[in-house]
Amino acid sequence: MGDAKRYPELRRRLSSGWWTANRHYTMYMVREWTSLFVALYSLMFIYGLSLWATGSRADFLNFLKNPAIIGFSLIAFVFTMYHAATWFYLLGAVAPVKIGRSRTKPWQALVLNIILLIIISFLAIWLAVLR
Amino acid sequence: MVVLDALNYIKAEIDGSLTYRWSCRMGVCGSCGANIDGEPKLTCASFLHDFKGRTITIEPMTHFPVIKDLVVDMEDFMEKLVKIKPWIIRDKETPPEQGEYKQSAQELERYSQFSSCINCMLCYAACPIYGLNEKFLGPAATALAYRYIEDSRDQGKDVRFPIVHEMEGVWECTLVGECSVVCPKGVDPMLAIQKTKILGATNALKSLLMPRGGH
Repeated sequence: MGDAKRYPELRRRLSSGWWTANRHYTMYMVREWTSLFVALYSLMFIYGLSLWATGSRADFLNFLKNPAIIGFSLIAFVFTMYHAATWFYLLGAVAPVKIGRSRTKPWQALVLNIILLIIISFLAIWLAVLR
Repeated sequence: MVVLDALNYIKAEIDGSLTYRWSCRMGVCGSCGANIDGEPKLTCASFLHDFKGRTITIEPMTHFPVIKDLVVDMEDFMEKLVKIKPWIIRDKETPPEQGEYKQSAQELERYSQFSSCINCMLCYAACPIYGLNEKFLGPAATALAYRYIEDSRDQGKDVRFPIVHEMEGVWECTLVGECSVVCPKGVDPMLAIQKTKILGATNALKSLLMPRGGH
């Protein structure tokens, strides 16, 4: 161990475009970027809610009806779904459930979690708006 | 014919100065790793017919210092390997006359895939986190640490936990997952790292809730 780091000067550095080198790296980087949109949407939504809290429901709805906000929400929705789907898949890869002698596959966790997400979302919409 | 045969041909017939590591030429020793067309692979396990009609680019494994041609400096990895104490730790060794430490098939199954690592370092070459921060403990060393943590005969959890959970340990991993893709032995280091995170988190929670015996 005395000879450790004999050639530190020869260590190669990653270029800033390393994530374009293969498909997996790019998918990983896109997943990381999507969290930025999730955060931005959360901030936007908190701002909308603050309009409602300090003003009226109409202020909040008018804010949401702004074409720029609708456009951004749609983009954020697509990215949020990508973010959620990749994490659901990873959840299945990292924590497979053992049933008898076999283990669940990552795609099964993905499908199950997406179904649960849809059910819970509809339940929340029903409780908040439709009821 | 594999890529290693091509390298041997070049060394024998074209340029005797070409330098690269190899030994078993059958995917067991883990010495012949290189980046083939940008992907970390064992040169002995990469068939030339898969590259038919194309020019192959063979480079030294990424992220490691290059000593000459395809030979990289392995010291950093060797240091990390020793650091996680890859042997069975017992509170008190029992004399051999008392027999072996027994283990059931189910207990073996918990860690067996992680004991297949051949230390070829392809997972390090594939890991951009290691590329950005060489202090990161990395895939293979963590997989091996997990192999011993999960071994029913081992009692060294308290020794290994601080090593794998330190600043540059498992928490540095952001789940790129490429380590598990390139492993030539079917080991899943990404899984080992995440399992180690789960163990660490539950252990911390236990000791917080039950400070006097949360093990």
